[in-house]
Amino acid sequence: MATLPTFFRRTEAPANPVMAARPVGARTERDTERDPHMLRALPNDDILFYCKKIDNSRLVREADPQGRGACWSAIAGACVLLVLLTSAFFPTVATTLAGYKLEALRTEERQLLAERRNLELQEAELLSPARLDRLAKDNNLVTPSSRQVVHLDAKGDATVAMVK
Amino acid sequence: MVERRLTWLAAIVLLWGAAIFQKIVSLQVVRHQEYLNLARARQEMVIEIPAPRGTVFDRWGQPLAMSVQTESVYINPLKVPDLGVAAELLGLVLHMDRPSLYDKMQQAYDAGRGFFWVKRKITGEEAESLRTLRLEWIKIQSESQRHYPKGTLAAHVLGAVNFEERGTAGIEKALDSDLRGQPGRERVLTDVKRRGIDSRLSVEAKAGTSITLTIDERLQFVAEREIAAAVAAHHAITGSVVMMNPYNGEVLAMASYPAYDPNISPEPGENLAKYQNHAVSVPFEPGSVYKVITLSAALETTSLRPESPINCHGGVLKLPGRTIHDSHGGLGVIPMAIVLAKSSNIGAIMVGMRVGEENMYQYMLKFGFGRRTGIELPAESAGKVYKLSRWGKTSLASVSMGQEVSVTTLQLAQAAAVVANGGMLVRPRLVLKRGNQAAPEPQPVRVIKPETAITMRQMMEGVVLPGGSGTRARLAGYTVGGKTGSAQIYDFAARHYTHSYNGSFMGIAPLTNPQIVVVVTLNGTHGGEAGFGGVVAAPVFRVVAGEALRVLDVPKDVPETEPTKTLVTKAGPDDVSDPDSRLGQPDILAEGDGDDDAAPAAAEAAVPAGPRVPDFQGKTMRAVLAEAASKGLTVLPDGSGVARVQFPAPGSPLHEGDRIRVQFKR
Repeated sequence: MATLPTFFRRTEAPANPVMAARPVGARTERDTERDPHMLRALPNDDILFYCKKIDNSRLVREADPQGRGACWSAIAGACVLLVLLTSAFFPTVATTLAGYKLEALRTEERQLLAERRNLELQEAELLSPARLDRLAKDNNLVTPSSRQVVHLDAKGDATVAMVK
Repeated sequence: MVERRLTWLAAIVLLWGAAIFQKIVSLQVVRHQEYLNLARARQEMVIEIPAPRGTVFDRWGQPLAMSVQTESVYINPLKVPDLGVAAELLGLVLHMDRPSLYDKMQQAYDAGRGFFWVKRKITGEEAESLRTLRLEWIKIQSESQRHYPKGTLAAHVLGAVNFEERGTAGIEKALDSDLRGQPGRERVLTDVKRRGIDSRLSVEAKAGTSITLTIDERLQFVAEREIAAAVAAHHAITGSVVMMNPYNGEVLAMASYPAYDPNISPEPGENLAKYQNHAVSVPFEPGSVYKVITLSAALETTSLRPESPINCHGGVLKLPGRTIHDSHGGLGVIPMAIVLAKSSNIGAIMVGMRVGEENMYQYMLKFGFGRRTGIELPAESAGKVYKLSRWGKTSLASVSMGQEVSVTTLQLAQAAAVVANGGMLVRPRLVLKRGNQAAPEPQPVRVIKPETAITMRQMMEGVVLPGGSGTRARLAGYTVGGKTGSAQIYDFAARHYTHSYNGSFMGIAPLTNPQIVVVVTLNGTHGGEAGFGGVVAAPVFRVVAGEALRVLDVPKDVPETEPTKTLVTKAGPDDVSDPDSRLGQPDILAEGDGDDDAAPAAAEAAVPAGPRVPDFQGKTMRAVLAEAASKGLTVLPDGSGVARVQFPAPGSPLHEGDRIRVQFKR
């Protein structure tokens, strides 16, 4: 089956002169024997195309100030339109994105508040007088008598005391 | 031809436009709300904004009750694919009895109910396990749950809540409207993945108001610990302690035994007696502690003074239909102060007779008995004070010694505060702040004159001094005044008094500058004198008051020494008509009587060597004070003129910290 690569390869000069001397489409007996299932040639399979190299480096585009101006105007118009569209839709998009962020933050706030309350509850349980009393007994601690307690700086609520 | 085609085209376009317009009207006007709801159902999500119930703090900001968010599971039985499988699955994850759960779900299904609580207040692990199942028919709803982080501490004050977080007892019930929050609702616009884009507040959340109590959790703990230990040690049935600031009525501690854990809901059919707050809800006959009111009324309405002689009739008094005995034998004529110190029933009756029914009744009411104190707790008892018209022939005698009247421990604390603060009745209160607003202080009402209150304080000190009935209440380093009470419990079925007692102690400390009043009551004590208030309640007072004075950093007003056990020797006449004739005789002070534990072993103390109490008799006050100052002694003068009687008696051993009471008379 003729594929496009094989088709285009035919336009190129063969590297092997012997093979080049053979007419295109001519099959050798060996080929036939090697590939008995080869399809028949396509129509115009024997037409050869040659690459004709054209040198148009000397051609120069004719100056067209009007066309150039129209082109730049179109580009500028497109840019302006883009800016206008962007500025028109930016607030909406930004609001939507901010909305996502805001809702996520609100959810997080609620979770953190609930977590804080749980931690406060745990703290209160740990500071229970019954627990502290039990810990004190386990560690052989005794209540200091009032004579042992020395107030270092008795100013308002910020009373600092030490035990002698 | 062309025109006709144009006409047809125009008609078709017109019809097409009309059809579009009709559809627009239908969408935007006729079925606007229907489509709006459909759109909202798809695009919006309603979120409940939690408004937790207000936290209850102690006076130092320690949380005693608080709510945290928890989750509950419910299903729609009509939409569950297979109830059997559902019950198996839910029972396994939620640790529930599966057959029972299945029966309940089936019942809900048969009844056509579209809502069924599977389990409320589940743990975080259980909720996570359910979420991982990703079954759409399992619904999890966020709820608030009440916690009491200190367990049984102040349980009777705090009360409890039910499943709807409505208060059922205590402060939770009394201030339910303040504590309860109003959850809000928010409509959240979501995208296809149910992520929030925008939200609108539908109902604003209103968090519950936090309440700050006057309770000090440290003092509350000590009070509960000590009353529990005392009830167990003396085989009592119940007990209660109230500690109060006498000037502003702030209740610093209120303990009731038996206690309970409000975190645990009562089981169906459970005996609810332990849920009663015995300090405010269970009145009892006060017995001898009531003599404080009798003597206060006497000081106010009669010419009786602490040194006035009272004839105790040798310990036996016959009244119409009954005979009154003093439990510790016979007393003769003794000063009124000794009537209180020895807790003589007959002495109190004689004083009450001088006061009279009308005055006694009026002072009962003035001291706040027979009506609720108005503390912020539900189910407060008013006690029982019979109207004057219902008084019998012996009612005045009974009331004088604390019978035929029932009071609560809180009412006794309120009455003790009158004596402690100089004669003003102050309403007890438990609420210090509502939110950030300080609760208004109650307006005090004058009940007795300041000098009466001071005199009563001096007489109450005699109760805890050697020879008094409440010596076990003495505190090292602080002056203490008090009164013991040991009321026999009346058996209404048998219509007679039993040998069980309400042992109580009402105390003030320090006496020179009262900072606290403490009332301790143990109900159902046994064993005769071993069940009296001076034995069972006074030691509780000593520990609780001592701890309170330490925690409150109250300066000591006497040198810190061990309470002296020295007692004066026994002797003396039974009947002394002239008080002056027995002044200075220590035997009068040492004679034991009354219904309390008036130191029955008063006479056998050995007299150690060392400094002795000087003899002030016959000297002027100036001379007495000068001599006392030169010897470094503390004298408590009373009256005017020359010294007539003193306590301890002259020549008694003098211990460090002892104070000598000297009564002057012209």
